[in-house]
Amino acid sequence: MRKGMFYGLLFTAPAILGFAIFTLGPMIASLVLSLTNYNVFKEQTSFAGLDNFVRLFSGEDELFYKSLGITFYFVLLRVPAVILISFGIALLLNLNVKGRAIFRTIIYLPSIVPAVASAMIWMWLLNPDLGLINSLLSRLHLPTSDWLYGEGSVIPSVVLTTLWGIGSTVIIFLAGLSGIPRQYYEAIEVDGGGWFRKLSHVTVPMVTPTIFFNTIMTIIGSFQVFNEAYILTQGGPNNRSLFYVFYLWRTGFRDAEMGYASALAWILFIIILFFTFIVFRTSKSWVYYEGGDRA
Amino acid sequence: MLQQKRSVFLTLALVLMLAAVLSACSKSNTASPEASAPSGNAGSKEKITLRMTVWGSPEEVAPYKKAIQNFEAKYTNVKVELQHIAADYDTKLTTMVAGNDVPDIAMMESGTIAFPMAEQGKFYNLQEFLDTDADISPDTLVPNITYSLEPGNVIGIGPGPESFGLFYNEDIFKEAGIEPPPSNVADAWTWDEFVEVAKKLTVDTNDKTAADPDFDPKKIKQYGVNLSTWWGVYSNFIYSNGGDFISADGKTFALNQPEAVEALQKIADLMNVHHVSPSPVQSKNIPATNVALQTKKVAMTVDGQWASAGLAQSKFNFNVGVMPVMKEPVTTVVCGMFSIFKSTKHPQETWELLKALLDPEASIDMLTAGTWMPSPKDWYTDPALLAKWTENLEARPSGYKEAIVDVILTKGHQTPTGYVKNFNNIMDLVNPALDKVWLGQQTAQEAMDSIAVKAQAQIKGRRDIKE
Repeated sequence: MRKGMFYGLLFTAPAILGFAIFTLGPMIASLVLSLTNYNVFKEQTSFAGLDNFVRLFSGEDELFYKSLGITFYFVLLRVPAVILISFGIALLLNLNVKGRAIFRTIIYLPSIVPAVASAMIWMWLLNPDLGLINSLLSRLHLPTSDWLYGEGSVIPSVVLTTLWGIGSTVIIFLAGLSGIPRQYYEAIEVDGGGWFRKLSHVTVPMVTPTIFFNTIMTIIGSFQVFNEAYILTQGGPNNRSLFYVFYLWRTGFRDAEMGYASALAWILFIIILFFTFIVFRTSKSWVYYEGGDRA
Repeated sequence: MLQQKRSVFLTLALVLMLAAVLSACSKSNTASPEASAPSGNAGSKEKITLRMTVWGSPEEVAPYKKAIQNFEAKYTNVKVELQHIAADYDTKLTTMVAGNDVPDIAMMESGTIAFPMAEQGKFYNLQEFLDTDADISPDTLVPNITYSLEPGNVIGIGPGPESFGLFYNEDIFKEAGIEPPPSNVADAWTWDEFVEVAKKLTVDTNDKTAADPDFDPKKIKQYGVNLSTWWGVYSNFIYSNGGDFISADGKTFALNQPEAVEALQKIADLMNVHHVSPSPVQSKNIPATNVALQTKKVAMTVDGQWASAGLAQSKFNFNVGVMPVMKEPVTTVVCGMFSIFKSTKHPQETWELLKALLDPEASIDMLTAGTWMPSPKDWYTDPALLAKWTENLEARPSGYKEAIVDVILTKGHQTPTGYVKNFNNIMDLVNPALDKVWLGQQTAQEAMDSIAVKAQAQIKGRRDIKE
């Protein structure tokens, strides 16, 4: 037992140390910093108590609320879209068709492309005048859009570009789908049930743990959206894509206000924690684990 | 994949913050307020190493290496360690400062972190060196290439000034039978003359020009001009019209004043009323200046003189004239700067290195290629030196001497980033408001008035006047 403990700790040490040094430590540091007026270039750093948080919530910093609102809107649009679309694709990829492996590869491929490269591709595709998408739309006599350059269309357009990287979510769904025992479907077939019955009575209930996991990961990822603002829009037009983490980055690394940026980071952390908690709480009523009691 | 990257990014940010905390503890020891006067130990022969950081393309870094070689040959006891930071320069340097691991000399940008660092006393006052140096002084340099925190406190000197001009494709003018832009500042076009020419050179897919009543602004195949919505470009016209970003006494936000508003509105009208310049949305389709002019997507473009390098490589008949004038001919002078960190142990040697970096002989390749201009004034006034970088070169067309060289010496204006305090925070308000102006949704007056109160709250004064 002792020896087992020793080897266990030995082999997990890289992970635990890594976590402690590169995650836990910095988190504590940023919590401390969020209570100071730390500016990278200033020699003097003094304790500021809750000043940073007061400044944020007092309404003095309009961009805080603005970026928060934009990020919420983004999450609200993106999470259902990612879950529904990737689940739909996973269902299709789970069909027993010829060349299934090829389709699966194609769906996953964009996830491997570096974020910057795919962002560049999307900038070309969504170009209002010359982009492929508007060209196709106008050829079909459909209305076109300013996409990333329109105040109203920028957030939906960013959501669209992120759907490109949906592959890993699809893969997780596929894993969930392939874990469903065949005999359940056979039972429905015997009872004369069709495709929809199979989906609603077997498939969906059986993958609820996967839906649960993917939802949480997508919520977290969506709140932390950064690359898109950094590369695609720089927060424009008219600050309509000023995502929270982009604003945080700007405050910390352009304005060097690390204390204030740390406060911003912690508020985001608490928001994410809150939503994750909510999803966990509600999961008791809708996530089904075959192996035993409900979660 | 994406999510992983994001969490990596966040972790990284947090690590940097930790590093900052740890270093903050040790800071008090090292930051002893050194005597700011340069210590005159240039003659001592102890072996020393100077660290230097720069950004830039490989071609831009090559002259630095050459300058360093020249410098090391002269000062055999000094070795220069060049650190080329190709991407995210400011982030990297910020982290280095946070970690108390700063170079001796660094390339800095007036629009980003140079002034925030200077305000915290990170740089030497180069005025002290300039006052005593036998080789260079403010008078021997091109105007507007030194940056000062306040009068008498020089924090950086630019190695390569850049000004703006009106670049154009000569063939387009010849084919249209139109007189190209004058290169002599005395003959410069008025704004209205400029608009008229731009109209004649804006052509739709039915070969109708913008001067024609049947012109279809939705199907433009050639724009008369490309005037980008970057402050570096529009500042030229604000100054030309007698306007400014901030009042002369440094107390008032000035972009909502008549002179600035008029200039901004006239630029927006190019896009939305005359349809002769691409709007910000359309300009996403416009390739780089050299390609845009070569492929005749654009007939003229207002750009920095660095565009000469790309134009020369494209091998077509390009030329440069003076920009149209609203009231006074003006060009904004922009450039990066070299700053010396106060923490250096060898200020005198670092100063000598800075001088070596300003030497046009070392960067002659960049000068002849068209990317740079020299910083010593005599390279503009001494015909033999001037010939070295302006004559018989593809990057230096016939209009160059008058339109660029003469103008930068006599009509230069410092970039707003050099004298408007808190520039970034002011522009965080101005830029989103201007988005609406460029798109034609608001007039310049409405947009600038709508943010005037908030912008006024960000006004912290000017660097070029004593308070």
